Amino acid sequence: MRLRVNGKEVEARPGALLLEVAEVPTLCHHPHTETRGLCRLCLVEADGRLVPACATEAREGMEVRTETEGLRTLRKTLLEWLALTTDLAQAPDLLALMERYGAEPERWGEVPRRRGREVLKDNPFYLRDYAKCVNCRRCVDACGDGIMGVYALTLEGRGLLAHPTTPLDRPLPETPCVFCGNCVQVCPTGALRPLSLEVG
Amino acid sequence: MMRTTCPYCGVGCQVEPEIQGNRILQVLAPDIPPNHGALCVKGRFGLDFPFSGKRLLYPMVRERKGAPLRRATWEEALDFAARRLLEVLGRRGPEALAVFPSAKTTNEEVYLAQKLARVLLGTNHVDHCARLCHSSSTAALNRSLGGASMTNPLEDIWKTDLFLVVGSNTTETHPVIGAMIKKRVRQGAQMIVVDPRYTGMAEASTLWLRVRPGTDLFLLNAIARFILEEGLWDRAYVEARTEGFAEWRASLEAYTLEEAERLTGVEKEKIALAARLYATTERAGAYWAMGVTQHTKGTATAQALVNLALLTGKVGKEGAGLNPLRGQNNVQGAGDMGALPDVLPGYWKVADQEAIRRFEALWATPLNPDPGLRMTEVYEAIPEVEAIYLIGEDPVTSEPHQDHLKAKLERLPFLIVQDILENETTPFADVVLPAASFLEKDGTFTNTDRRVQRVRLLLDPPGEVRPDWWITQELGRRLAQALGRPWKVYEGPEGIWEEIRQALPEMMGGINYPRLEREGVRWPCPSEEHPGEAVLFRERFNTPSGKARFFPVHFTSPAETPSEAYPLTLSTGRVLFHWHGGTLSRNSRLQEAYPELKVEVNPKDAQRLGLTDGEPVYVVSRRGRIRAKAWVTDRTPEGVVYAPFHFAEAPANRLTLDALDPISRIPEYKVSAVRLEKVD
Repeated sequence: MRLRVNGKEVEARPGALLLEVAEVPTLCHHPHTETRGLCRLCLVEADGRLVPACATEAREGMEVRTETEGLRTLRKTLLEWLALTTDLAQAPDLLALMERYGAEPERWGEVPRRRGREVLKDNPFYLRDYAKCVNCRRCVDACGDGIMGVYALTLEGRGLLAHPTTPLDRPLPETPCVFCGNCVQVCPTGALRPLSLEVG
Repeated sequence: MMRTTCPYCGVGCQVEPEIQGNRILQVLAPDIPPNHGALCVKGRFGLDFPFSGKRLLYPMVRERKGAPLRRATWEEALDFAARRLLEVLGRRGPEALAVFPSAKTTNEEVYLAQKLARVLLGTNHVDHCARLCHSSSTAALNRSLGGASMTNPLEDIWKTDLFLVVGSNTTETHPVIGAMIKKRVRQGAQMIVVDPRYTGMAEASTLWLRVRPGTDLFLLNAIARFILEEGLWDRAYVEARTEGFAEWRASLEAYTLEEAERLTGVEKEKIALAARLYATTERAGAYWAMGVTQHTKGTATAQALVNLALLTGKVGKEGAGLNPLRGQNNVQGAGDMGALPDVLPGYWKVADQEAIRRFEALWATPLNPDPGLRMTEVYEAIPEVEAIYLIGEDPVTSEPHQDHLKAKLERLPFLIVQDILENETTPFADVVLPAASFLEKDGTFTNTDRRVQRVRLLLDPPGEVRPDWWITQELGRRLAQALGRPWKVYEGPEGIWEEIRQALPEMMGGINYPRLEREGVRWPCPSEEHPGEAVLFRERFNTPSGKARFFPVHFTSPAETPSEAYPLTLSTGRVLFHWHGGTLSRNSRLQEAYPELKVEVNPKDAQRLGLTDGEPVYVVSRRGRIRAKAWVTDRTPEGVVYAPFHFAEAPANRLTLDALDPISRIPEYKVSAVRLEKVD
């Protein structure tokens, strides 16, 4: 099957996601957790419509544009709001994207911030620092359907109050958590970190 | 490259530990087979045991019994060890010596250790810890199919429509495989789990058969009989690819559903349903572990599974097969490399004329054609056996009937212990040789689905520690010199691997170190262009006739059944957070998460005893008693208590009995009679 990406003809296997044929920034997408369609960073224009590249299949003759002025502005804004509401100090990939899209978070002035959260250390293996969390959901999916089938993590709340946590906010040892740390490996922002990384 | 292979279980996960100074900062997993980025708690957080204060850092010798172990130089220790071995060899002959290579060490190291035994000491008393875990499976698979490994690759999990999981607590003991199987079940596959305990697999199953401990064989035979009765078997496959069918069929007469229900405690409708599902699902794979093997009828039970798979034409097909989940990181490799008393590397029988010609030519020395003693038999044979070269193993914690084993070790004239950490067996040693951990050497491990994978040196060994291959090579050099026998000396593991390729061209010929840089390669792999065989026995079995053989097997009771004084059945096993004798996991960060022994007690049994959850309790058998914390839970059925054997201070193997399977000589770890006593 053939389609055009930014004016260039490309070949795609049937069922391929646009993500596989077009180079676009991603945040929530992960091949093993199967998370998709949440962060909107990978939005592209396909035949004039805005669609997430991680959740849209390529079609014969499709005309895809990945870096229009509108898309660049959208990504810039999305990144700015992530930076305004979360601590991205340990998210090098996102910081690089901010650079690439010329993000200037300060232009929005004061915005309502995510509820400040303390670092949770409730087990011998890893900590949860939700001030750094961008709600990409990868950890929830790694723990659940994507990899482990354990379901010790869930997404709670709505809007700016939304955040991943354990059912009923229980300490991890009181959940079905098996401490595989697969959530830690897929976390893109350092919100989940091994305790062994902490100095001292 | 900072990539290596996880040293815990047989899944063989690829790991990338980030090491700084004397600690591991974090462990990530690359997106390559077999684990594709996933790990379990042991691989992710339990790799820091090489930094433990219990590391053996320099050689030690005990000049005579009763004297303390004292620090020695490598020269001294190796000279002393060689002298003592030669003395026993000269006085008593090869039958008085045994070598136990370790399934925790690399293929290269196992190969060298068994070569030392056979070429220099002339003994076939060579064995490894599979004697205690899957020897029953390998015995059954070898005699029926002519091969002792998983028949199918782990990737086949994604093609399997029905899992038959027998006696495997997969989510705790092979967690990454457990997660794969569970995900496949979420995608719509069915899963029959046969287990007395409500494990993570039972929870994820679509049909759980809660058998009474030790009755799996009866259940499997009854399933086979019912499949025959219903005409659901694969007649074409049986006729074309098997032999011994008529005799086996006749042996099933007594295994009716009614009898099976009475004996196993599983309703006959459920047994019939399981039989129908297994027989009629084309892509149905059997997976099993210690619940099948660790019985006095372990070989028979594994055989019953083999028979069932042959009856329904499940072997040699994608997404199906017979898949024993191997325990240790390199237990598949240890068998492949000939750490067994009856076979040389590549499973060539020691008595086979062609094998003798092949290996005598390669090693330039005459070989002993008589099969040796098995591990459990070697300990029994003390003090007829006078010297043991023990590598990477803690038999005091892992062998059954601990007090008896300790008494035997006390009477053993000479014991070499080669290990990375101090454990319960170290005090019995006459020579202690400190070995490098998996982080401190190069080599290969072979995982449960026959994938040979690289182990890489990422860290310099501490103290005077040396890798096992170097130690064995140096000991061998001394023995060879004294005996005037040939002994090739290698620069490093890659040279040893090249000799293995030369010894086993059909199996390993196509696997070389450069090829293993990117990812592991499965055997058999006869040439460098060959991708490595995924599914075994597609066309023919590895038997002289090319056909698989049915063997009739019959149910027998466990060696020890509950009595008035010991009314409960003890089953031993493992938990997610620990590894076997605990030498590794209890010297790692894992210890913090699971610091002490908990025994599972069914709420009804707890109520009868007035026992509450978390209360201390004694578990008492005819052989001893241990103290534990009671975990009152219906994970374990009424009448059964479950105790992991990881805890040296409360060793479950003080309670177990040393009754052995007649064929594999595996101990019956899964059934012994105990009682609980309240601690006042």
